[in-house]
Amino acid sequence: MNQILLSIALFLRASKRYKHTKSFIRDVLTNANNPYKKYVDIMIIFLIVTSVVILIYEVKNPVPEWLDVYDIYFVSFVFSIEYLLRLWVHNDLTELIAKEHKEAEFLQRDSNPTSMLKIGLVEKVRYMFTPTALIDLLAIFPAYRPLRVLRIFVLFRVLKLLRYTKSINQFMEVLSNKKFELLTLLFLLFFIVMTAGIAIYVLEERLNPNIGSLFDALYWALVTISTVGYGDISPVTPEGRSISILVIISGIAMISFATSVIVSAFSEKLSELKENRIIEEVNKSKSFLIVCGYGQMTKMFFRQYNNELENYIILENSLDRVEQARKDGYKAIHDDASRYDTLNKFNAEHAEITILCLTASDVENIYITLNAKSISSKINVIARANDSSMMSKFKHAGADHILMPNKVANNMIHTAITQPTMYKAIHAILTGKSMARMDEIRAYECEGIVDKSVKELAFKRTKLLFLGIQREGTFMFNPPKSEIIQKHDILLVMGREISLDYFKNLYEGEC
Amino acid sequence: MSIQNILLFGYGSHGKFIAEGLVEDGFTVQIVESDEAFYLQAIEDGHDNALKVDVTKDEALVALTPENYTQLVCVMDDEHLNVFLTLSLRSLFKDSYLLAISDSIHTTQKLHMAGANKVIDLYEVSANKIHNILNRPVATELLEEFVTRKKGISFRELEIPQNSFLHGLMTDDIDLSEYGVLLVGILDEELGNNFIFITAGINHKLDSGDTLVCLGNHKELNRFETMIKEKEIPTHA
Repeated sequence: MNQILLSIALFLRASKRYKHTKSFIRDVLTNANNPYKKYVDIMIIFLIVTSVVILIYEVKNPVPEWLDVYDIYFVSFVFSIEYLLRLWVHNDLTELIAKEHKEAEFLQRDSNPTSMLKIGLVEKVRYMFTPTALIDLLAIFPAYRPLRVLRIFVLFRVLKLLRYTKSINQFMEVLSNKKFELLTLLFLLFFIVMTAGIAIYVLEERLNPNIGSLFDALYWALVTISTVGYGDISPVTPEGRSISILVIISGIAMISFATSVIVSAFSEKLSELKENRIIEEVNKSKSFLIVCGYGQMTKMFFRQYNNELENYIILENSLDRVEQARKDGYKAIHDDASRYDTLNKFNAEHAEITILCLTASDVENIYITLNAKSISSKINVIARANDSSMMSKFKHAGADHILMPNKVANNMIHTAITQPTMYKAIHAILTGKSMARMDEIRAYECEGIVDKSVKELAFKRTKLLFLGIQREGTFMFNPPKSEIIQKHDILLVMGREISLDYFKNLYEGEC
Repeated sequence: MSIQNILLFGYGSHGKFIAEGLVEDGFTVQIVESDEAFYLQAIEDGHDNALKVDVTKDEALVALTPENYTQLVCVMDDEHLNVFLTLSLRSLFKDSYLLAISDSIHTTQKLHMAGANKVIDLYEVSANKIHNILNRPVATELLEEFVTRKKGISFRELEIPQNSFLHGLMTDDIDLSEYGVLLVGILDEELGNNFIFITAGINHKLDSGDTLVCLGNHKELNRFETMIKEKEIPTHA
């Protein structure tokens, strides 16, 4: 038995396919950044909503049979699959057994996979008893129509929505931060309801025809303390009314206390919730910018875009500057970009991220670069260096582009002095503000130009100046007219933006 | 290019490198510093003629005879001093060409008000560069190479000599790419030395005295420079 268990575990552990499938399913079910999770979520929500609609519809109307089949079998089937998958990916039994086996081999004792299996299964059972798993399980039960009570299970399907709606989760999270206060309040409520209920029961059970049992008395106490006061049961003796007065007063106090606790919980968490929203928003896009630091440089950088930049987020350490950025109308959050957790919140796996390290401190910028590269080497980092001695360090840290403001400015001044006319031209080309800008046309994005010769392309017609081709890392300046454009070429051209757009339009049609 | 002499105020984080680049390019540079440490650094770096002057004093500035220099460049590390210096120089020498560096939006404005002919904003040019790196990485890199002449391809200003075959031709009719150079723009004497990009779409008549801004290989540019002195269109390059 042990042997069979062990070999199964080792086989599964060695199987790449098994591992891959499991991690994929886990990702789809639990990782909010997975691009496919959205579709799974939408499907489950659709199933829940339809089954609730059917429940409401069938109160007054007969339901066609196919809808019944859909509701009872199909929805339940999908939910049970989902439940089993969640149970499956919750922990790794094979991992546990294999680990135990290795340890046993090391210590040269007999391996005991069953004990490990037990531990793993206990963990799974523990998961089955968590509220969300219980709801999932109860939601599977089909709404068996002949038994009306069983329809209540459909409501568990509604509760299942909790898992799929972020705002409710966040609400619960906020409340769980005030667990202590809320529990105290609940305990106090319980205490007052019990005392008042027992008191009214003892005092009025014989005199009040509406109070027949202790349950009636407790029900009255709760209705009164909540200030709802249906009026179906009311005290008839002066003693009973005195108790009512006390209960009502304590009720008002408790409601205001509860309200203030919840409000303060939200106001404490409000900025965090808002920031999480911004992060979620930006994580949805396929490529975005993370700008670290909100100083002169960042301000200037955003000026270049004239508010046209959409997919970005600013991370800033200082609260004052975050405030400033928000006042200026930018999406900024107060967080430390050099912390692993901060950058890890972003969807590095499924999105193209470019990080701009623009803080004034080199040390900080290097740290952010390292941090970003440690999360994923795919993240593109453009860093600002103030000191030329830092260049090698930035390179070592893995920055993709290093920019030295001093050097850039020095070069500009040098050009302005040595080539004053050209400076104007170059400045215009660099800023792209006037008649000329230098731009690149990627052949693979504009397939109409591939396999054509330079002569065939309509540079003259679109008033573009063709400068050359960047092919496999080398630049061919002013290539012969017969040169054929290849798929991975990048064409360097100069001209007005409208010329460039026109040129691209011209060839896009031929794709 | 005629030899130019530059009066450079400041030998701090910018001045040091600018001076170095200018000397390399054959410019005569006169360095002026008010800070002892920077002044000593300049001497140490071989700028023997560097002067230590209190730039807040008008007499001291006049004594430097700025009118004899083609350009006055203010790159003092102290931002306030830089603005003050620009203002003093402008009030003393109305006709001098003043170039200044700024490290914030507010300073840029002040320098313009103080009378600088050209202000280079440290953050603006850098922010611009990031923008360019993000949007057109290859073009940015190549342009930088053209400007710094790393790859042998560079910009050059060429004046059309008297009797050149180019005189009287229209820009639309000439294609310089046959000669291995590309015409980027024209500086027209008649139009008050305005720079016109070839891509602006204006068909322009070339005259002697106009300056062509060309992009090309060092060798090809040299060849083209001698070629445009010819009266007749050369049969082939």
